Formats: sequence, structure tokens, C-alpha cells
Amino acid sequence: MQRTRWNAVMAAVAALGAVGAGAARADAPAALVAAARAEGQLTVIALPHDWCGYGDLIAGFKAKYGLKVNELNPDAGSGDEVEAIKANKGNKGPQAPDVIDVGLSFGPQAREAGLLQPYKVSTWNSIPASAKDAAGYWYGDYYGVLAFEVNTDLVSKVPTDWSDLLKPEYKNAVALAGDPRTANQAIQGVYAAGLSQAHGNAANAAAAGLKFFAALNKAGNFVPVIGKAASLAQGTTPIIVRWDYNALADRDTLKGNPKVTVVVPKTGVVAGVYVQGISAYAPHPNAAKLWMEYLYSDEGQVGWLKGYCHPSRFADLAARHKVPAALLAKLPAAASYKNAVFPTLEQQEAYKAAITKQWDQVVGANVK
Amino acid sequence: MKPASRVGAWLAIATGSLYFLLPLFATFEFSLRMRREAYSVEAYRVVLTDPGFQSAFAYSVLMALLTVVASIALVVPTACWIELKLPRLRALVEFITLLPLVIPAIIIVFGYLRLYNSSSILPLTGNARATDLLLVCSYVTLSLPYMYRSVHSGLRAIDVRTLCEASESLGARWSTTLMRVVAPALKSAIMSGAFLTFAVVIGEFTMASLLDRPAFGPYLQLIGANRAYEPSALAIIAFLVTWAVMGLIQVVTRNAGGAGARRRTPGA
Amino acid sequence: MSLSPQSDASAIAPATIVPSPARLAVRLDWLGVLPFLLFALLFLLLPTGCLLVGAFQDAQGHFTLANLSHLLEGNVLAAYRISLEVSAVSAAVGAVAGFALAWAVVQGGLPAWIRPSLLTFSGVAANFAGVPLAFAFLCTLGRTGLVTMLLHRYAGIDPYASGFSLLSFHGLVLTYLYFQIPLMVLIVTPALEGLRQEWREASDSLGGTALHYWLHVALPVLAPSVLGASLLLFANAFGAVATAYALTGSSLNIVTILLFAQIRGDVLHDPNLGYALALGMILITGLSSAGYLWLSARAHRRQA
Repeated sequence: MQRTRWNAVMAAVAALGAVGAGAARADAPAALVAAARAEGQLTVIALPHDWCGYGDLIAGFKAKYGLKVNELNPDAGSGDEVEAIKANKGNKGPQAPDVIDVGLSFGPQAREAGLLQPYKVSTWNSIPASAKDAAGYWYGDYYGVLAFEVNTDLVSKVPTDWSDLLKPEYKNAVALAGDPRTANQAIQGVYAAGLSQAHGNAANAAAAGLKFFAALNKAGNFVPVIGKAASLAQGTTPIIVRWDYNALADRDTLKGNPKVTVVVPKTGVVAGVYVQGISAYAPHPNAAKLWMEYLYSDEGQVGWLKGYCHPSRFADLAARHKVPAALLAKLPAAASYKNAVFPTLEQQEAYKAAITKQWDQVVGANVK
Repeated sequence: MKPASRVGAWLAIATGSLYFLLPLFATFEFSLRMRREAYSVEAYRVVLTDPGFQSAFAYSVLMALLTVVASIALVVPTACWIELKLPRLRALVEFITLLPLVIPAIIIVFGYLRLYNSSSILPLTGNARATDLLLVCSYVTLSLPYMYRSVHSGLRAIDVRTLCEASESLGARWSTTLMRVVAPALKSAIMSGAFLTFAVVIGEFTMASLLDRPAFGPYLQLIGANRAYEPSALAIIAFLVTWAVMGLIQVVTRNAGGAGARRRTPGA
Repeated sequence: MSLSPQSDASAIAPATIVPSPARLAVRLDWLGVLPFLLFALLFLLLPTGCLLVGAFQDAQGHFTLANLSHLLEGNVLAAYRISLEVSAVSAAVGAVAGFALAWAVVQGGLPAWIRPSLLTFSGVAANFAGVPLAFAFLCTLGRTGLVTMLLHRYAGIDPYASGFSLLSFHGLVLTYLYFQIPLMVLIVTPALEGLRQEWREASDSLGGTALHYWLHVALPVLAPSVLGASLLLFANAFGAVATAYALTGSSLNIVTILLFAQIRGDVLHDPNLGYALALGMILITGLSSAGYLWLSARAHRRQA
């Protein structure tokens, strides 16, 4: 979906949000809090503390409601989370995840497999319609766009767009944050590069992206190592294509050693949406619902923003001036996000299939 | 001892040391770079002052020791029995012991969750102690290849058949033979298996994380996942501490079994 | 004590050890392995089986052979091939290097403190795999690695200019050796300790050279242990995924990464295909195991 349509939706929703502002600001109903406290604990999965500020969000939730939080496998991928629900169907112990945070395409998939239960948070109306399931089975939580994370100690001239990366001064410098055959971030990266090269033509973007990385590899600029904060600092991967929130979080944890700049490319800006859902087999359903209320309250949404993720109710919060100015200043300029493209589910299926199948042949980073 | 072979031995050790110590040194050097201006132990300070470190490590050490004991108790009698009385089963048993290496741990743990969850016949995930038991069983499974291969290798080296016959002809029961004749002869092999098992358990992540137990593996992941310098510091610390504990185990067992163990190394 | 290495257990029928009637003895003998088999059933075979049955199912649970047919696709076969190559090469090199180190420490006449240090170090190093290992090698031999920089600055050698790259098949094998060699050392050291000094002396006194000793006395005795350890090294490398993913993730296509992609699926999510891949790996392990048994049986037949 193009940015302009997104803007229209957000504007309409902001208007609605202004009407429902009273309900949006209310705290979770006391009955829910009591029921959750009776359950005593919540089990989450795949929430690294440095991702979107989840560390602080979990701590805040624990402090506010006094519940214990079991954190399973912070390293899990979206598929892992769905498999974990399936494996724990009969389990009421602390190993069964109550809530999941997965990529957009996994929402409908999990619903079809009967793994989710519907729940509409009290701020439901201020979540854009395109980012939620109408029946309430899954709902968008945050999005980010792909950006370049650059180690400016090693790279003197910061690239501003995808085509810059092909220049000879970036030899042995560019890496993806995952394996394009398996990781969402990496595949979106290839697609974004393609979108930039194909001048916004979504149908040709996958092929163009593969061609771009083939050229990058041939020029010797591509490093086939999975880019992480450690490899960025060590020097193996001075430029990483990553979600902006991860790049900004890295910039903070590295504390200037090395100096990191995060650049949103001028063209080919692709946004990735993640969605929340409650497991149909959750051993602690009330705690799960309370967690959702917390995340979609103003407090929770600002918490995600502190982790540099744009929460789905961002427009609503901005309209009601709920975002601290200091926080807004730390985010990249809003102008960079104007061109963000939100691929639809169908588009995602198509280019994921193309890129995962053809990566080995077209890019041929297969070195023997 | 022929001088030529001693030179060869020193050469082998020197090359080996270079290969093994250089990467460790490089990691250590990187971990000292947390402060921009100069080398510092800042990364180590951050890691060691974290309150979770000691409890996670202690838990894993306890699990490791339990696993080693359980694994020895399971594997040594089985390996001896197969060697002596059921050699036709050797192929099957060896194949089974290789499986944990190729079956991803995540498949095994999902299997546990389906079979032993709170609503099954054997509810092992209900409370913490039962889950600990399940975790130890999973660790024993993961370390089966190493323990079995070590013990089997040791059995091949001693003349276990003659030892057992001699012991039986002197009137010993099977259990006495096992504990007082075979086990001391296998001490070196058992120690090898124990070291491997210990290291496997300390670093294990998937099982502990998905069974929701506070082990060292998940802790390492939580602290180091998205950082730059802390993971290197953690890797060095984990390496050194595990090595130290193993050295301790070796010293303790050497003193305990000192009288019985005869060294066959010529010239040592 | 005879000079010949201990005879193969299969050459002697079980009945000669146990005096009771043969059939009852065999049935009682099975009781001896019951604990192990029960444990393996409960904690390895059943849990695995209950998931791997998914290799024959589709997403809705109906029986299908489609997953198995996917295994014959080009990129899957290529993945298996590369996995096999990496495993075989790292097992072979690891076996030789590990044996050399083990021999050095047992028979090499070195100071006594080296042996326990090497064995305990090997215990830790054998499990030092995954992201920390990959990163350690990047820090050492990567393009901006310590050794690379030192060689460049002080010896004027640029390994990358002459075509070396850590991010390649050879680099991956080099990294795998870090946990393969210690594994070999730990398993083969007890076997080397079993080599009696008297055998060497007897061989020498009969006029044999060192080569004779090794070919006709030492290696036949050690063959089962060395072969068994090599098989373990092979399976160990075959099942490894984290190190490869961290080091050569986007370039080398090995089957364990493919498996994880399907099961962990950030993107592709066909767990049934993942289970089929796992089944294929188990089959290959079974074949290697059979191959090893055939080899070790031949080795015994030759020495009998």
C-alpha cells in the first residue's frame, strides 16, 4: 500500500481517535487486572530486551501489575513462536507462550491454524484498519523501515541511497542482517534495494533486487556475513542493512564506540509490520489480555517509540500530543518516512518466494 | 624416548596451541575495546556485576554435575553389557547414540512438550523440580554421543572380557565387577566423557530456554544478543570458568582414585 | 597376557560366558540393556518420532509424500552435498590432527602437566561452537582480523590478496576444526593409553621398524576407536548449524540451515518440509553408521 493511502487512513483514524480519546486514555478495567493477578504470571516468547525497548516494557509491566513474566527463547523467529504454541497445546505450565509477536504474514497463518484467540483492546479503534484483523485475532503493533547502519569510524563517506552502495569506496563493506533465504530482515532488504532500482515498480522489485546484490557481490562490496552489532564494531561489516529501530538501538548501546550513523535511504524505503496475538491455548488468558491493554495504552505505545519502533497508534498519539518532544527529536526526521512503502500480504508472498528460491543462483555468493 | 618423536610431539603441541589460543586471544583483545580511548575491562565489569550471572552459572553447574552422574550411570553399564553379552545390538545402540547430533534440539524439546506436558500421562512440566528432571534427561540425551563414544573407546583399549571373567571366577557379582574392576580401568575414558558432557550442559541454550529454566545458556543470550563487546567478554569468561571447574573435577577425582589408577604411559 | 590385541567380542558366542541355558540367558541379557533402551525411547525416539511423522503430512495433517519429493529438488540436494563435504573434510582433517595431538601427549615424552591441561581444554573447546566461535575466527582471520593485520603490518603478507578468504568452504572447515580436533583428542587418548609399552618393545626386539609397529600392531588395535571417533566427528559436523550460519550464512547452503529456515521460519514456514529434511539427515547418519560398522568388521577380520 502506498504512503499516500496510509496517510489518508491515518488521518481518518486520527479523527476517530479524537472522538474516542476518553476511552483510549483509560487504564485497564479493574476486573481484568484482578483476574490477571489471580493467574499470577505471563509467558512471552521471542522478545529480546534490545528490540523495540521490550526490556523496559517488560520491567514496566512487572512493576505496574506485580505479575511474573516468563521469557522464553528471545532468539526465536516468527516460525518458532507459532511452533511453540502448537507444541504446547496441552501444556498449562510456564513453557506455553501466552502471547506472540510475529511478522505480518504469520498473523493470518496462525489464525487459520486455529492458534489464536480474538481480543479487541480498549484502544482498538485507533489502530489502522489495514494493520489489524477485522475479527480481532491479530493486530499490528509497530513498524520500522530498512535503513543503513554505518560505522563512521571505518566509513568516511556515508551512503545516502542504494545505488551509492555499488561505489568502489565501499569494498568489503555491505552486509545484510540475516540470510536472505531465511530471515525476514534480509529478504525485505533485497526487496527494498530492488524497489529503489526499479523506481518503485513493485512487480519487478524482487528481480531487480537480486540483480543489485549480484552486482554488489561481483564488485566485491558485499560481505556474506550476518551483520550484527559485534561485527559492525569489529570491522567485518561496517555497513549493515537493518531495521531502523535495531540500528538506532545499536547506536545507543555502542555509546559512540564506534560512532554509528543511521541513514534511511532516499528511495526504496520499505516498512515491515509486526503483529501481536493471544494464543488460543494460553494458560493465562487474562494476563495475556492485560499485557495487550498495557502495550496498546499510551504508556505502552510510547515505550515502543522509546525503542525507536513506530507504534501502530502513532498518528493518534501525535494528534493528541502524547509524544514527548525529546523523544521525537531522537527519531530520524519524519520526512524520511514519507516515502515508506507497506507491501501487502500478497506482494510479500510473491517476492519472498522469488528471493528465497533464486538467491543462490543469481547472487552466487556461493564461494567454494 | 627417541628424540625425534619428542621433537615431533613438541611441534604438534606448539601448532595446536597456536591454532587454539589465537582465536581466544583475538576475542579477548576485542573485548577489551569497549572504551574508545584505551583498553579496559569495562565489558567484564558490566558482565560480572550483573546479578543474574552467578545464579545462572550455579544452576547450570548443578545441572551439569547431575547430568554427568546420570549419564555415567546409564552409559557405562550399558556399554559393558553390549560389549560382553549382546554384541549384535552394538549397531543399533551406536546408531541411537549418534541421533542426538543430527536431530536438532528444537525438535526434541517440542517433542517433550507434546508428550510430557501438564495434561499428559507423565506430566513433567507441571512444577519446577519435575521440569528440572526433564531438563537433566534432555541433557543426558544430548551428551549420549560423547559419553558413549568415550566409554566405548576405553572399553576397546582394556581387555574387558578377561577382566570380567577373572572377576567372576573370583566370585564377584556383576555390580561389584562393574564398580570395582571395570570402572577404575575406564577412568580416563569416563573422565573424557564427563568433560564433554559438562561443557555441553553449561553452554546449552535451546532446551533450557524452551523449558523455561534459569540456565546459563539463556542468560548468555539475553545479555549478549545485541551487544558488541559484552558477548566476547562473556565467551572468554565462560571458557575460563568452565575450564577451571573441569580442572577442579580432574584434581578431585585424581586424588580420590589415586591409589587404584595405574598409568600406562611410558616414560611419563 | 597374549600379544594379540583383544579379540572381537562377536567372535565368541555369549553362551560361553553365561553358564545357564542359552535361550533363557539371551532373554535375561536383554534386561541388561532395558534401562538404556527405555531411556532412549522415552527421551529421544518417541519425542522425535512424534514430530518427524510430520514429514509425511501436509499442513492440514493429511498423509502425503510431497515433502519427500521436495527433497529431490536441486537446491536441497546441493545443500546435502555441501553438508556432506564439509562434514567429511572436517572429520578427516580433525581425526588426523586430533590423533597427532593425542599421540604427542600420551607417547611424546612431554612434561606431565601438559596432558591434563590439554584434556580439560579440549573438553571446553569441543563445545565452543556457534556464534562465539564464528566471531572469534572473524576477529582472528577475518579481513580486519588480528592475525591478518599483524601479517600485513609486520610480514608484508596479505592472505586475502592471495585468494584466501575465511568466508568460504575452506574457512568454514578451518573453523569447524576448532571443535572437531578436541573431540578427537578426548576420545582417542584413552585408547592410546591402552597401547602397551611391551608391544612396542616386542616389535622392536623382533627387528621391526617403527612403520612395522604402527601398521601391524598399533593401528589395528586403535582402528575401532579411531574409526568410531571419526564417525562421531562426521555426525557432529553434519548436525552443526550455528557456526555455519554465523560465518557463511548467506553464501554456503548447508542442509541444517535449510532445515532451520523451514522450522524457525522468519519467512518460509513449512515445518513438514523441515521434518522431511531431518529425516533425510537421520537416513544419512544411519548409512554412515552402517559404513563404519562394515569398515570396523573388515578391520577385525583382517587381524583375526
